[in-house]
Amino acid sequence: MTQPDIALIAHLMRRAGFGVTRQELDAYAARGYEATVEDLLDPKDAEWLGDDMVRRFDLEASGMINAPGSSRNWVYRMITTNAPLLDKMALFWHGIFATGVPKVINGRVLYDQINTFRRHGMDGFDSILLRLAKDPAMIVWLDNQENHGDAINENWARELLELFSMGVGNYTEDDIKECARAFTGWTIGNTEYMMVRSMRDSDWPYGRIAYHFDYRPDDHDDGEKTFLGHTGNFNGEDIIAIICQQDSTARFISRHLYHFFVADEPPVPAWPYTPPRDPEAINTLVRAYFDSGYDMKSVLRTLFNSDFFKSEDVRYGKVKGPAEFLVGVLRMTGEFDMPRRDMIPRYRQTVWMGQELSNPPSVEGWHEGAEWIDTGTLVERINFASEQFGDAGKPGVSAMIDRICSGDAVRLSPENLVDRCLDEMGAFSVSDKTRDTLVRFAGYDRSRESVAHLLRLSASTQEFQMA
Amino acid sequence: MLEYWQTIGIVAMEGRGFEYPTDTVAAQNGRLYVPNRSRDFGERGVRVTIFDLDSEYYGTFGHLGEGDGQLISPTCAAESGQGHIYVADDYMHRITAFDYDGGFVACWGTHGAGEGELNGPPGIAFDSRDNIYVADTHNSRVQKFTSSGAFLNTFGSQGSSEGQFRLPWGLTVAPNGDLYVADWGNDRIQRFSPEGDFVAAYGESGREDGQLRRPSGVAVDETGRMYVSDWGNERVQVLDADGAPIQVLRGEATLSKWAAGFMETNREEAAARATANLKPDLPDVYGDDPHTQSAHVESLFWAPVSVKLDDAGRVYVTEANRHRIQIYRRKSPI
Repeated sequence: MTQPDIALIAHLMRRAGFGVTRQELDAYAARGYEATVEDLLDPKDAEWLGDDMVRRFDLEASGMINAPGSSRNWVYRMITTNAPLLDKMALFWHGIFATGVPKVINGRVLYDQINTFRRHGMDGFDSILLRLAKDPAMIVWLDNQENHGDAINENWARELLELFSMGVGNYTEDDIKECARAFTGWTIGNTEYMMVRSMRDSDWPYGRIAYHFDYRPDDHDDGEKTFLGHTGNFNGEDIIAIICQQDSTARFISRHLYHFFVADEPPVPAWPYTPPRDPEAINTLVRAYFDSGYDMKSVLRTLFNSDFFKSEDVRYGKVKGPAEFLVGVLRMTGEFDMPRRDMIPRYRQTVWMGQELSNPPSVEGWHEGAEWIDTGTLVERINFASEQFGDAGKPGVSAMIDRICSGDAVRLSPENLVDRCLDEMGAFSVSDKTRDTLVRFAGYDRSRESVAHLLRLSASTQEFQMA
Repeated sequence: MLEYWQTIGIVAMEGRGFEYPTDTVAAQNGRLYVPNRSRDFGERGVRVTIFDLDSEYYGTFGHLGEGDGQLISPTCAAESGQGHIYVADDYMHRITAFDYDGGFVACWGTHGAGEGELNGPPGIAFDSRDNIYVADTHNSRVQKFTSSGAFLNTFGSQGSSEGQFRLPWGLTVAPNGDLYVADWGNDRIQRFSPEGDFVAAYGESGREDGQLRRPSGVAVDETGRMYVSDWGNERVQVLDADGAPIQVLRGEATLSKWAAGFMETNREEAAARATANLKPDLPDVYGDDPHTQSAHVESLFWAPVSVKLDDAGRVYVTEANRHRIQIYRRKSPI
C-alpha cells in the first residue's frame, strides 16, 4: 500500500466516517479503497459499545427525560461504532431533516428519529421520505397533528417540498396546499394528551412517554388532488412517489450529498441563484439517483468512487462540524470504552462549538462549512482538541505516544518526529508552513510529556479543523 | 403466584418522589428507602427517599457530594441487622451507612482492583451474621466484608465459566444463606455457598420464558423460588428453585397516590389523560423490542433495575426509567 493510497483512505474515513486511527487505517488499507467503500456502505457485524452498556451506566441516556440524554446515547455510538457511515448518514439527515427539542420536548422521540436515520439512511429516498412523514418527532416539529381533513396545516407540506426534497422554485403554493391535504390524518397516537404534556413540558407522573405514528382515516381528506401536474385521490404515499420522480429532487439531494461529503456549497437558500461548485459532479449523482431507483446507497457508492471525491483538491477543504469534530477527537483519545460521568461535560462541548445535537437553530438546520467557525467557536474547538490530545493519561493518546516513542525515537530528527506524530494521528497531513512550525516546536526532547505536547500542538492546527 | 398490588412513585427532581431510582429497601422500621441516581448526577436529584407502603413521605438524605454522608451515584441499598441503611456509590467506589433518619454512620471503600478495593459496586446484601457481600462489577468478582468494611473474602473473575462473571449487578442472600448473583453480562443467575463456592447457575440467553437477558437483580424466598428482574427483557420472572419458569410479569402500573395527587391539581393534563389509550397497539415500525415497547407504553416495566422481597412476601420492582416502584403480592400460598 503506497502512501498516496493511505492518504486517500484517510480522506475517505474523514468524510464517510469520523476520522481514523493509524491502526484502523492499516486495516482498511489492507482491504483496499473500493472494498473499504463497500464495507462502509454495507457493514457486516456492525458493533459499538452497545445499548446495554449505555442504558445500564448512563440512566438518562436510557430514560431520556431531556434531549441531552438522547444525544449522549448517539455520541457513545458515534465514538465506538465500527460502522461509521451509518451514523455519518444519520448526522447528514439530521442536518437536513432538522428536528429539535424546543418543540418536540421528548428526548426518546428524538432518539427514535435518529435511530430511523441510522437504520434506513441509505435506503431508497422514497422510503426515507415515507418514514420521515410517519416519524412522530417530525410530525410534532412541523405540526402535522394539526393538519386535519377539514382544516389543513401546511407546515409539513411546505418544508417537505422546500427543505426536504425539491427546493424552492420547483412547485407552486397550490402544490403545497394539495400536498398538505394528502397528509391529513397523519398524526401521533393520543394526540391531545401528548400535546398537553408537551406544552407543559410534563414528564409526570412516570417520565416521558414516547410518541407513535397514528393514521386516522376519518381525519383524512380523500378527495381529488392535483399535485405537480398529477391528479388523483392522493394520500401521502402517492405524493412522495411523485416527489421522488422529480429532477429537482434528484438535484437537491445530490447537492446536499456533495456539500456534506465532498466540498462546501453556499447555504441552501442561495442554491436557486448560485450554480453548484461542480455541476458535472451533481449530474453524475443525479444519474446514479435515477439509475438506481432513488437508492441512496448506490448514489453514495458513485460518490465515494468518483474522481471528484478522490481529488486532492477537496481534501482538508471542509470544516468539520462540531459533533463530527468532537466525535473524531474522542474516537482517537479512546476515553470512553464504557459510559462515564465525564461524558456529560465532553458532550456539552459541542454546544459551545455551535452545534447541540437535536437542537438545530431552525427548520433549516445548521449552516455548515465556514459558518461553523467564529472567534468563539474556534477557541472552543482548539482548546478542546489540545486538551484531549495533551492528556497522556487517555488510553488512545498513551498508545500513540507508546508507538511514537518506540524503537529509534530518541535518535529521530525533529522532522521525523513530527512526521511520526502526524502519521499516528491518522495519516494526518498539514501544509509545509504548519509542518515547519511543528518541527521548530519538536526540538530534541523525546520524553513522553514532550511528545504529548507535540500531539497537542498538532491538534491545534488549522488543518485539524478540517476534514 | 403473584398479583399486582400497587405503584408508589412519581418523577421528581427533589423531595417526595424519585428520579432514576436504583433500588428499594423494605426496612424493619416499616419504611421504604429508595436511592436515586438523578438524570445527570444532579445537585437536587441525587438522594435517598424515605416513605412507607401508604405512600407517606418522610424526607430524603444522602445528597450530592463527595463528603461523609453524601452520594454521587447511588446504585443500591441494603439494611444491616443493626438497622442501618447501607448505600453503595459506584462513582465514589464506596459504601456509606446511615441510620433510619438518614444520619451519617460510617463509610468505607477505596477505588482499585486489589483485595478489598472496589470498582463500581452496584449490588450489596447482608447475610445473617451481618457481613456484607458487594458485587464488585468492574473487577468481575464478589467481595465479602464485615459491616464495618473489614475485608473477609473474594471470589470470581472475568469470564463465562462457572463462578466467573461479566459485570455482575444485583445480589441477594437467600434464607438458607446461599448467595445469588445477577451475572448481567452472562445472562444468568449464579448461586454460591456462603463461602463463595459455586453451587448452580440458572437461565440462559433469550427472550423465552425461563431465559434471561441481562438480569439486574434477584430475590429468593423461603422455598428457593427466585424473583429475577430480567432487565434486558423489561420483565420480572419468577423461577422455581431449579430455574424453571413459574410466572412472567411485564408490568401493570397504575397511578400511585402521589401521581393521583398530581392529577388532582393539574386538571387539564388529567382530562387529556382520561381520553388517551395508554396501552396502544404500536405500529410495526417499533418491532418487538421490549425496551422500545416500554418507552411507548407507560404501564409496562421500563428498566427494572432491582427486585426485592419483604418479610410478607411482597415483591418490589424498582423501575429506573419510570421513576416508580411496582409492588406485587402473593395471590396464592406457596
